[in-house]
Amino acid sequence: MAMLNSQPARSSLQVAPLAIQKTRSNGSSVADSSDPYSQSQITPPATPNGSQEDLYTQAQEHVQMEIEMANEPPVFHNFLRAFYPFQPENIVNDSTVTLPLNEGDVVLVHSIHTNGWADGTLLVNGARGWLPTNYCEAYDPDEMRSLLKALLNFWDMMRATCGNDSEMFGNQEFMKGIIAGVRYLLRTHCLTRESPLVQQYDGLRRNRKSLLSELSCLVKTARRLHDAQRMGNVEEVNEVVDEMILRAFKIVTKGVRFLDVLEEERRPLVPTIAAITAAEDNQVPPTPPAESSNFAAGYGPAADAGSRAEDDGETAERAQYAASDVARSLTPAENRLSSVCTQNTNARRLSQVGPLQIHRPSSTLSHRLSIAGPSPLAHSQNLVSEKLNACHDIFLSHLGSFIGRLHLQSQSRPSLARAVKQSATSGGQLLVVVDVVCTHNAAVIDVLEQSRAAMYDRIQELVHTARDILANATLDMEEDVIVPQDNGRLLGAATGCVKATGECVAKTKWVIERIGDFEFEFDNGSLGVNFDLSALTLVREEKDSKYCPSESASIAGSTVSETPTASTAISVTSSAPVPSVVLSIDKPLPDVPQVTSPITEQPVSHPLPSDSRPQSLPMRDRASSVVQTASYNRADLPPLPRISTASLPMDTYSPLEPSSTNGSDFRSFRSESMTASSSGSGSTYLSRHSESSILSQTSTRATTPDSTQAPRNQPSFSDLSTTETTSQAEEVDDVESRLIEKTFAHELVFNKEGQVTGGSLPALVERLTTHESTPDAMFVSTFYLTFRLFCTPTALTQALVERFDYVGESSTIAAPVRLRTYNVFKGWLESHWREETDREALDLIKEFAQVKLAAILPSAAKRLLDLAEKVSVVDGALVPRFVSSMGKSGATGTHYIPAETPVPAPAMTRSQTNALTAWKAGGSCPSILDFDPLEIARQLTIKQMSLFCSILPEELLGSKWTKLAGVGAPNVKAMSAFTTGLSNLVADTILQYDEVKKRALVIKHWIKIASQCSSLHNYDALMAITCALTDTSIKRLKMTWDTVSVRRKEMLKSLQSTVDFNQNYKALRARLHDRVPPCLPFLGMFLTDLTFVDVGNPATKTSDTGLVVINFDKHTRTAKSIGELQRFQIPYRLTEVADLQEWLSSQIDRVREKDKAGANTQASHYRKSLLLEPREVQQLRTPVEPPTPAVTGSGMFAWMRSNSGTTTATQSLSAPL
Amino acid sequence: MPSRFTYQPVREYHVVVLGAGGVGKSCLTAQFVHNEWIESYDPTIEDSYRTQVTVDGRQVVLEILDTAGTDQFVAMRDLFLKSGQGFLLVFSIASRSSFDELATLREEILRIKDDDTVPIVMVGNKADLEDQRAVDRARAFGVSRSWNAPYYESSARTRTNVDEVFIDLCRQLCRREDKLEEQARDELGQKMSDEAAKKRRRRRRRKEKCVIL
Repeated sequence: MAMLNSQPARSSLQVAPLAIQKTRSNGSSVADSSDPYSQSQITPPATPNGSQEDLYTQAQEHVQMEIEMANEPPVFHNFLRAFYPFQPENIVNDSTVTLPLNEGDVVLVHSIHTNGWADGTLLVNGARGWLPTNYCEAYDPDEMRSLLKALLNFWDMMRATCGNDSEMFGNQEFMKGIIAGVRYLLRTHCLTRESPLVQQYDGLRRNRKSLLSELSCLVKTARRLHDAQRMGNVEEVNEVVDEMILRAFKIVTKGVRFLDVLEEERRPLVPTIAAITAAEDNQVPPTPPAESSNFAAGYGPAADAGSRAEDDGETAERAQYAASDVARSLTPAENRLSSVCTQNTNARRLSQVGPLQIHRPSSTLSHRLSIAGPSPLAHSQNLVSEKLNACHDIFLSHLGSFIGRLHLQSQSRPSLARAVKQSATSGGQLLVVVDVVCTHNAAVIDVLEQSRAAMYDRIQELVHTARDILANATLDMEEDVIVPQDNGRLLGAATGCVKATGECVAKTKWVIERIGDFEFEFDNGSLGVNFDLSALTLVREEKDSKYCPSESASIAGSTVSETPTASTAISVTSSAPVPSVVLSIDKPLPDVPQVTSPITEQPVSHPLPSDSRPQSLPMRDRASSVVQTASYNRADLPPLPRISTASLPMDTYSPLEPSSTNGSDFRSFRSESMTASSSGSGSTYLSRHSESSILSQTSTRATTPDSTQAPRNQPSFSDLSTTETTSQAEEVDDVESRLIEKTFAHELVFNKEGQVTGGSLPALVERLTTHESTPDAMFVSTFYLTFRLFCTPTALTQALVERFDYVGESSTIAAPVRLRTYNVFKGWLESHWREETDREALDLIKEFAQVKLAAILPSAAKRLLDLAEKVSVVDGALVPRFVSSMGKSGATGTHYIPAETPVPAPAMTRSQTNALTAWKAGGSCPSILDFDPLEIARQLTIKQMSLFCSILPEELLGSKWTKLAGVGAPNVKAMSAFTTGLSNLVADTILQYDEVKKRALVIKHWIKIASQCSSLHNYDALMAITCALTDTSIKRLKMTWDTVSVRRKEMLKSLQSTVDFNQNYKALRARLHDRVPPCLPFLGMFLTDLTFVDVGNPATKTSDTGLVVINFDKHTRTAKSIGELQRFQIPYRLTEVADLQEWLSSQIDRVREKDKAGANTQASHYRKSLLLEPREVQQLRTPVEPPTPAVTGSGMFAWMRSNSGTTTATQSLSAPL
Repeated sequence: MPSRFTYQPVREYHVVVLGAGGVGKSCLTAQFVHNEWIESYDPTIEDSYRTQVTVDGRQVVLEILDTAGTDQFVAMRDLFLKSGQGFLLVFSIASRSSFDELATLREEILRIKDDDTVPIVMVGNKADLEDQRAVDRARAFGVSRSWNAPYYESSARTRTNVDEVFIDLCRQLCRREDKLEEQARDELGQKMSDEAAKKRRRRRRRKEKCVIL
């Protein structure tokens, strides 16, 4: 209720800023913003205006995303609730299972077929089968959201990991979600048994109790699972998993019921006009609650009660309902999914959904009825997502083999033609699938069109290229062979195809995820956008028509109708004639019952001889009178279900008459549907792991019920209810105590791997101090490393103290959690203390130790106080540490190289040593050429590694090294300065010689040094040297390079390729990936990564419950990057030659000194280079001029350019305008 | 909308984002390449800085080189510049020194590319910090005009003009290539001398563009 109320209100609130923003960006942009792609496609739309701080912007962005989802692409609803009873004619025919629905039933939806039938699981009994969506509405009330989400995760986890992931079951993470969900549901009024609301209302109390007992059963079952897991009993594990799922369903069912009752109870609190009519309802006798195990018995009345209020929504009758509520408030009809109050709820929902649907039809169910294909159902490959994957695979395999063949030197024309044809055909098929998705929902066309067009173009390009080549070859006649140079073109075209296709498929998957998977009948093999060479003109025509604006909404329609081979897609918008043959196979949605039908049915619909029957009778009487009032106002009702069916070509089939069988035999249906529950989904589920990771849970949950698989000896629902009643009394208390535990677990956000990606500070602290398992090492080290980025040390201390306090309420876990809390403090003080920032928290910690900790753990308190004293005295960590354990896992460097490995002797001759000694004594300075490249490389490596090892992780946080001239990151600065210095030294040593030969010699020498660095895996030096050698001022020395041997130049080229920064350092990353230290990576790469992690990921994110939480994922990424860097912080085992080190440093310093003198080093190198080898005469610009002295910073190069543009530029800079 | 009979290969351009530290150039890049379908941004994968855009109905792949975080590796800049075909010169409207630095950067580009028609777009970032503005808009326009490079004021934070600057640069690159292709055809057809063609190209002035928020 509350949710439905808030949804439209929120979107209407946000429409305004959105519109404003649009005009803003349009008005201000010179770029062609009318281009539909540039705006909507590549980038998310502009965020609402303003210079707000991060947090606010985040929230805005999130809200906006929500609006987009609400307005544009329809949302796939995971849960539906029936608002009509539905009784299928045949529950099970040879191939399908159709489930009977009772009013108020909640359904977990796996997929929705285009014809409006949903594949879903009834929570009430775990049965799976087909359900008519037009009988249902989305179910997602605020209070339940957390629990429903938890159930979804639970289902995914249980189904996906069936018996093979002991780790996941081990830490009981999956249980927490459910418990947190129940907690969330109860949190407002009914958390403790003593709360007044629970005390006051018996029904509420009973419902609450039965919900909790169910929860305790689940907890128990989970324990059994844990045991079974340990025993390795696969059979039992599977059984228990099935049982757990059923139990989880039951919890949600009871939760739903609880919420219904709760809403009923709340109503009297709201003043209504109802009091006037209250009297007439007073005669209704109190309805005693039914036993919880007697749930089935409630169906009869529930059903007719359900049909009673179907189409209502009028204020008049609502008043009357409310009146009855007042009267009955003392005797709630709990245990009935559809008590009167629920209808009231439904009534309101209906009246809201009605107008809503008109405004944004895409957000309701009706959108799913847009196309109907013939459907023999139950063929899982009919799911669009699967078809998409299949087509993509085929296409890629064709292209792959085609590309593979291209690498052969030559090939015959027929084989080329065949391969291209194959590729194009399969590509066409893939395009059809994409088109189907487009047609399925017009709103997504914008999203897909561009990439679809791109892919189309690429395929066409391939075809054209092939055609051109084939055509040219025919001119030569004799050649039946494709010349190798044409291969290049084909190769380019083919790889283009692969890329564009990948992108298009990814987007399509994303779209499917949004709109929900659906089924579509594909005419196997014969369909496809035809790219065949002979049909080239046809393809063109087809393309033309596609781009006609009028038909833009029906890509598939036009595509298909113009391509003779494909015939199945039916586009609603293009009003293509519907082949009647197709539809006769199709299963039509049942007609929604008329309002009058419940009344006529009433005698039939309560045949259940149940113990609750006498009580329910009077209620029914009253109910029928309500229905009569409802029918008076019927004319005004929005014809909600009609809207959806109307879009189907209804006259082609005769609608079912559900009323004839309605309610006649609930009990038998129940038992039958029970056996039909699909245990097979477990096996089909595994397929999701083979799919690309982009697919989300929503789309992958789409599996089709497989009724052919015989039901295993699954624990039936009735079994469950009998076992549960026996021992529930004592268990309830246990669960209750667990439930009352204060927890922030619902404020955590996990990713699919089960890692924490977000959470509020209390939730993260709770995670840090969890009692259930050893905290995840990665999580802990990330937390210690990065917490200062998302909270202050004081805030952390307070959160920890609070955790220490509130865990005291739950006696069972208090002790371990408090110990962990102490350990967190201890670890912080011992190894992660940073005096300059953390000092502010010290007093708080001391106070905590003296008062709170001392009262419970005196010895721990003493230790903590000791540490607190030391920490302010001792500089640096008290206990040596590797800040992030993930890189080093506690190992020290010597573990990588056994200590007994002899350290290589320095490659120094006596004369070299003497030369250095002489230099130190004030003699002449030796040149770089005097030393062995190997030894230079070694000494450089030692020097660089010592700088690299001194880099502290905290220097790498928050882009610190880029701020305030790197004051906060001295070691990063030193390291990058050294690398730059080395580059400059290389250039300087080359340019210092006037003779070409000498220069060539130095170049050669540096190439050798670089090569040695490469063998030492010193990529930082390698980068520095190759950068210098390819610098413009060196590269342009043509005469010098001509003297360098080809072999050396080749060597340089291959060295260069290893540190190439293109494609995001692809080559270097590959080398570093599994490189065992010692190794010195290029620091700059890490710095770039860290910068982009920092700026590319927002500081906060929004959880499912709408809470803005810390984006812990960002910090995990940062920590991962730093961990990877730390992995290499292990010194080489090389002998340091002090004199050579000194000489190298002095050389680098010498070059740096020149830099300091004012002139830009790069510029002075270039000048020198020009002097050494002046520009050749035929070069257009830059006549060699004598350098103008005292160039200013901004006009650095003005001297060498006579170009007038430059001079004005510099002038305009200096002259005020 | 691509014209239907002339088929065009996808063009790929390397774009270099330059600017002093702290002007928010990496925010600009991140905003531009950040794919909205990805929940969290991982900059360590190969395609992190590649993105496809449509400019005037034409598909273009942009590989963006951003020296973010490595400004201190001065010696590497040459390498970066060499590989770029188009350049974004970014300064912060709240920092005068970052503006002054652009001239040096531009000189360096022109030197290394050895071409004074190389596509450049000038970007005044942090336009949301209007109250801290240190670079007069008119002044920026003046420089922009003299450099013959369009000027935009953008804000990575509010995502204003982020796409526009890249698209503009892309458009320049496309036009440039179109011109070159056209010239190549002309040269074939009319046997025009290489010299004359170059002269003509140099005489041509790019259309001036100035953008204000």
